[in-house]
Amino acid sequence: MKEFNAVLAGVGGQGTLLAAEILGSAAVKDGLNVRVSEIHGMAQRGGAVTSNVRIGEKILSATVMEGQADVLLGFEPLETLRNLKYASDKTTVIMSDEQIPPTELAAKGTAYPNMKEITAKIRRFAKKVVVIETEQLASEAGSRLTSNIVLVGALAATESMPVKTESLMKSVRELVPAKHVDANVKAFKLGYDYMKKHA
Amino acid sequence: MRSLLPDPHVLLEDNPSKRVLLLGNEAIARGILEAGISVVTTYPGTPASEIGDSIAAIANEAGLYMEYSTNEMVAMEVAGGAANCGVRALTAMKHVGLNVAADMLMTLAYTGVRGGCIIVTADDPECHSSQNEQDNRFYALLSNLPCLEPSDPQEAKEMTISAVEISEKLEVPVLLRTTTRVSHTRGPVTYGKLAKPNLKGKFVRDVKRLVMVPANSRPKHTVFLKTMEKAKEISESSPYNRVVREGKSKEYGIISSSSAYNYAVEAADLLGLDASILKLGMTHPMPEKAIAEFLKKCKKAIVVEELEPYVEMQVKAIAKDYACETEVFGKTGKPYFSREGELSTRAVAEGLARITVRKLPIDFADIDKRFTEVVKELPRRPPILCAGCPHRASFYVMRRIGGENAIYPTDIGCYALGIAPPLNIGDIMICMGASLGTAQGISKATNAPTIAVIGDSTFFHAALPGLVNAVYNNSRVTLAVLDNATTAMTGHQPHPGTGLTGMGSPSEKVSIEKVAEGCGVKYVKVVDPFQTKEAEKVLKEALEQPGPSVVVFRAPCVLMSVREMRRKGMKIMPFKITEKCTNCMACIKLLGCPALTVESGKVHISEELCTACGLCIQVCPYKAIEGGNTRR
Repeated sequence: MKEFNAVLAGVGGQGTLLAAEILGSAAVKDGLNVRVSEIHGMAQRGGAVTSNVRIGEKILSATVMEGQADVLLGFEPLETLRNLKYASDKTTVIMSDEQIPPTELAAKGTAYPNMKEITAKIRRFAKKVVVIETEQLASEAGSRLTSNIVLVGALAATESMPVKTESLMKSVRELVPAKHVDANVKAFKLGYDYMKKHA
Repeated sequence: MRSLLPDPHVLLEDNPSKRVLLLGNEAIARGILEAGISVVTTYPGTPASEIGDSIAAIANEAGLYMEYSTNEMVAMEVAGGAANCGVRALTAMKHVGLNVAADMLMTLAYTGVRGGCIIVTADDPECHSSQNEQDNRFYALLSNLPCLEPSDPQEAKEMTISAVEISEKLEVPVLLRTTTRVSHTRGPVTYGKLAKPNLKGKFVRDVKRLVMVPANSRPKHTVFLKTMEKAKEISESSPYNRVVREGKSKEYGIISSSSAYNYAVEAADLLGLDASILKLGMTHPMPEKAIAEFLKKCKKAIVVEELEPYVEMQVKAIAKDYACETEVFGKTGKPYFSREGELSTRAVAEGLARITVRKLPIDFADIDKRFTEVVKELPRRPPILCAGCPHRASFYVMRRIGGENAIYPTDIGCYALGIAPPLNIGDIMICMGASLGTAQGISKATNAPTIAVIGDSTFFHAALPGLVNAVYNNSRVTLAVLDNATTAMTGHQPHPGTGLTGMGSPSEKVSIEKVAEGCGVKYVKVVDPFQTKEAEKVLKEALEQPGPSVVVFRAPCVLMSVREMRRKGMKIMPFKITEKCTNCMACIKLLGCPALTVESGKVHISEELCTACGLCIQVCPYKAIEGGNTRR
């Protein structure tokens, strides 16, 4: 089996931890060896956060090396940029267009960087970039809080991950809050279909 | 309280051989259940928190006792007391927590224990969520207690069980040392059998063993040293200290432990390096003979470890004692690995490449160069106080009254984020409780108005002796207790002021203001930080007192109040900027709230982020913010 490395990058509160846990638990369902790295505590308070997911027989460490990500899952454009060092010409970048302006920008009165420039920069680093309107798809799914699952669905559609789509779906059902299972399942499907159409 | 698993009851399943994805800390919690540990104590601290939190969620059903103690010292005392009655106990804390408990640790080593007693220390290389990155393996050397170091979640569980066996065999406490990358890595964990907890202990009076007056301590020290000779034998034959790979040539040998071991193996594979690998899981006492034997089989030994050269120093001593001619590489002498921060497969591969004169198969320098160009002007995104955080209101009030003249010693908690502009509150921060102590030194030395900032949980943890000191020595300081009714930073654990125990039963609420009055503080007031005018008046008065004063800024953590509102089905109506806005930017310049942004040159309130705290309407000079349902 080919080794699989993913980097999830976002802002504290966007649900990167949950998304990473879903990927990891699906891998365990399929009997695979997996490591998921998380950072808790202070960093979670609206700061930049990353999670790594690594799947493969021989994998021991939980962190992905520079240039070695198969997938960079960007929950926020600036955070995607911040983690580009993990990407290379073998990397697929799946990025949400949901902008969360860092407070530094407001304090300086500067506008959020231009999206076209951001994607152009990413293109220089990666094999492929797919930008997803997660907010819109999440709202369509019934809750704006399901953006993270839209991205998980999109990742499933790339088929780069050595995990069955139904295992991922099962993990979504198990791990999201019980009240919001339906919306999250729908979000997963919408993300999946979007990626199939646009990849 | 946060539960990390979908349902922490997964940990209770009596289903041996079931394979589950667990966080390292959850794996330790499962180990607690499989080892029959019956008393678990902790003070929350990243990266150790989820051990206590997982147990808290299931303690009643599992039939064991769990408590959030007021601090790590008390936590270890409770665990040590229980273990001396033959009950198996575990206490968990972050690395700096062990500094607080060190007094107990050093002499608990002498008295020893009857039931297994495990002390978990979770170190934080890279300071992901800490004020320093001390290497607590030196506490094993200092106290002379056995130390186990897991490298992944499965091993974290196994070692919790083994630690109990070792502890009971030797009748001394055992240290279980993790790092952030062990505690906060998820990996597959295979369950073993659950053990039945046993909370029924018996205290056997034995003054010579348990009362450490000098006449008893001296002979106990002798006994302890003998015990540790036995520990050495355990280490020599421990399955955790093993050669995991025999190299074909006898050129290189790698010795590694903990998270560093994972990087070492991957780095050797990345370089295609033919090397034998010795994995150390029991790192105190060191398996001297096993290490000497390993050294004799290789010409060059490379020690790969995070932070201090703890293993390396001992390996070098062993090499000398056993007359091994092996050359030892690591951090001392010519440094090949950093003593700072975390290692990574890359960092280890780079070190190994330099030692073995090999070329890296990945051009990291090129990646770095291209990446630096891309991120040149990327705005930073440090952690910040949440939108609606009551600390922001408290800090705004402090700035208004204390201004630039006052000095603001601060403490460990979310409120340390007050250092960010525009609030800029936090002039010195060292350790739990130090705001109040350092404030007194600063006040005596400068006579400047001094406002010591501390959280509610930290107040109970470490501020009481400082407060008594301020009264006793008549220090002119104002203690601002930011009481948000929880231990917010580490995941909303209860504390003595919340009226709830770790096991969810109601308890007496310890009142911060009554404690302060009881200590003899003459000026004690409670304010709502969101009522800024009233809070400003009180703080001004407090600063005018001739002696110590205490102002409690009381408002619940916004994450809890928002959750509570959602539970009750109440809707938050965010505030809006009206056409009265002149774009003077006062709100942004004074508060730095993440919900306040600038879009096409105009101030905007983010509907998703605004929690309708109502602070910005109080600072807007043009009354241009309206429409929200202020929560108060």
